[in-house]
Amino acid sequence: MDFELNDEQRALHDSLTRLLSDRHDAETRRRIAASPAGWSEPLWRQLVELGLAALPVAAAHGGLGGRTEDLMVAMQAIGGSLAAVPLLGGVAMPAAALQAAGGDAAGRWLAALAAGDARLAWAHDEPEGDGRADWVAVRARHDGQSWRLDGRKAAVHHGESADRLLISARVRGDDGDEDGRALFLVAPDAPGLQRRGLRLIDGTPACELTLQGVPAEPVAVEGDVAARAIDAALAVGMAGCCAELLGAMEMALALTVDYLQTRRQFGRAIGDNQALRHALADMQVSLEMARSMAMLAAVQADAPTGPAARADLHRAKLVVDRHARAVAEAAIQLHGGIGMTEEYAVGHVLRRVLVLETTFGEADVHVAAIERSAPWNSISSGASCSV
Amino acid sequence: MNLDLTPEQSAFRDEVRAFIRERLPPDIRERLRLGYLPRKQDTVRWQRILAERGWAAPHWPRAYGGAELGQVERIILLEELQRAPAPVPQVFNINMLGPVLLQFGTEEQKARFLPRLANLDLWFCQGFSEPGAGSDLASLRTVALRDGDHYVVNGQKIWTSTAHVADWMFALVRTDAQSQRHRGISFLLIDLKSPGVTVRPIRSIDGAHHLNEVFLQDVRVPVDNRVGEEGQGWECARFLLANERSGIANVGACRERLGHARELAARTRRGGRLLSDDPHLRHELALLDAELRALEVTNQRFLLTPSAQAAMPAFASVLKLRGTALQQQLHGLLVRLGGAAVREHVDDEDVDGVPHLVERYLFARAGSIYGGTSEIQRDLVARTLLG
Repeated sequence: MDFELNDEQRALHDSLTRLLSDRHDAETRRRIAASPAGWSEPLWRQLVELGLAALPVAAAHGGLGGRTEDLMVAMQAIGGSLAAVPLLGGVAMPAAALQAAGGDAAGRWLAALAAGDARLAWAHDEPEGDGRADWVAVRARHDGQSWRLDGRKAAVHHGESADRLLISARVRGDDGDEDGRALFLVAPDAPGLQRRGLRLIDGTPACELTLQGVPAEPVAVEGDVAARAIDAALAVGMAGCCAELLGAMEMALALTVDYLQTRRQFGRAIGDNQALRHALADMQVSLEMARSMAMLAAVQADAPTGPAARADLHRAKLVVDRHARAVAEAAIQLHGGIGMTEEYAVGHVLRRVLVLETTFGEADVHVAAIERSAPWNSISSGASCSV
Repeated sequence: MNLDLTPEQSAFRDEVRAFIRERLPPDIRERLRLGYLPRKQDTVRWQRILAERGWAAPHWPRAYGGAELGQVERIILLEELQRAPAPVPQVFNINMLGPVLLQFGTEEQKARFLPRLANLDLWFCQGFSEPGAGSDLASLRTVALRDGDHYVVNGQKIWTSTAHVADWMFALVRTDAQSQRHRGISFLLIDLKSPGVTVRPIRSIDGAHHLNEVFLQDVRVPVDNRVGEEGQGWECARFLLANERSGIANVGACRERLGHARELAARTRRGGRLLSDDPHLRHELALLDAELRALEVTNQRFLLTPSAQAAMPAFASVLKLRGTALQQQLHGLLVRLGGAAVREHVDDEDVDGVPHLVERYLFARAGSIYGGTSEIQRDLVARTLLG
């Protein structure tokens, strides 16, 4: 067992953190959020130059062939700056899906993703899906000439600026069936496609899709391949999301430590008060739990898929969500009034947490996945067998 | 990063499991499963079986009855013992005194005590706390005055677990009445059969007798029984407490109790249906399962990773805070699962384990008090963040 980051990972984290603190300070973040697009193409280009777009793409397609733990390092740094960049949904998750799917279309897009020439948008969630992996109500039918999609997708992050939408749709079965899910690429100007742009509570640009007979290019249609592709993307997404939350928690804690040391009341630093010190200690405990689970999720995202790895991913997301919320709330409380202001960054952490914690499902989704893997009549839960 | 066991480590785990399966006396296992704490004779009987493999003192040198296990193997062994459930090696002998003797003891002391500690020929208890010195240990007042080649010890120890069944006690005493606080404290080994030693029981809220007061009146202790130099006792104590970290999270014990909760839920009917069919309960169990996994990975990460320890020097406090919180939560849940039957007072040892759940619950309240209260642990964590 080895929990150390390697030299490349440390270097990546340091250079990325440096770049983001230089080019993405609080003022810049506000300006970007207030801009019509809601994100910064120039900042994204700089991340591409650092190799982030190539990172999750296999070497065979011109990428760096990084593992999810490398992505974790990047997402942690991004989370620590609250930057709204389309790395996870725009590159890493589509790359995971396309690599699992294989085929010509996949190869073409993977090369473009790695080069930073294109971005996709992961369009899986639906209004009724609540992040569930299996919930796909959008229908795909073949009309003899091409595949056509009908239905709705919700909260597609960075969906308005993407070159193609990577959309899950159902070729057979009922809305919640595991079997029958498939993946398609759709052009942003495809006939029958409506995109309604919106902003999430943390400023992330997103859109809703309404699809009416939209022509689509198949990526994975056959049962097993499509399911593997979707699950691979969701695994990378959950792990990346855990890492981003971890970075946001680190930011909240750092701001709070700083504030407790500098803010004075009754003639002394407020960090001298035991009640506040204890609340800070609890934040640190939460952060350590989240750090461990972000690491576990990254490792399990690359492990052969199976019930044990999947349950660990859901455990990780559940634990990180809970502790991230607790840390963000406590950070505001320890700041007092200033923590409630738009000007001060600590409140922005809570808004980011609110978005990330529902991405890939609320607690119920994870609980159900964990319980499915728990052998009910056996004393050993089996979980520690996978350490 | 790599969170897998090596093939050798997996083989070791299999070996431990097979050993426990073959050699753990069924009556001991059954008592523990029902919720009893191990009796002295249970621990002695099992530890002597473990001693055949050196597993009674897993991390000690072979020359003194140990097995020189590495940290990963130690974690595996401890978790497998707790999951079985089997008694763990007697902590005062193995985790506390043994390492202190190895570090500070003379060759004569090592040869005289270590093999007998490993084989539980001698049962030691810990004489640290005093009526006026709990978490603030350095304010202890028990005095040892030099008289030729003896010390004459006067004072009182309290909260002394197992003193009533112990043969010896290791104790912190003040050998220099002039020095304040940390200086002037020495580490003595006291034979409890010495004239002037009185052990009085303290009944705890679980109705049992674990705790004692130990009165020392003109007790003569040979100078040869001092470990380390005169005045080096505080250093020994700090070393001892640092060594206590490896079992502090109690992951295996939590896992065993969670398994027991699932088992109980799967065979207990309430209001016409099995408790295991209650979605609220399943939600709670999944949450505990996930949080426990986070504790488990955090435990591994800290114990195996020097850089993680350096980044959070109070890591043992993090582990203890989270470990005791989860343990107490699990015992609370088990009491709820037991329902009204749990509140019956029983002396009969042969009844089903349910009534004893409440005693374990009550006993578990001590977890966040002994070994430094949770408040002290939060102070330690906060100090690493705020100074």
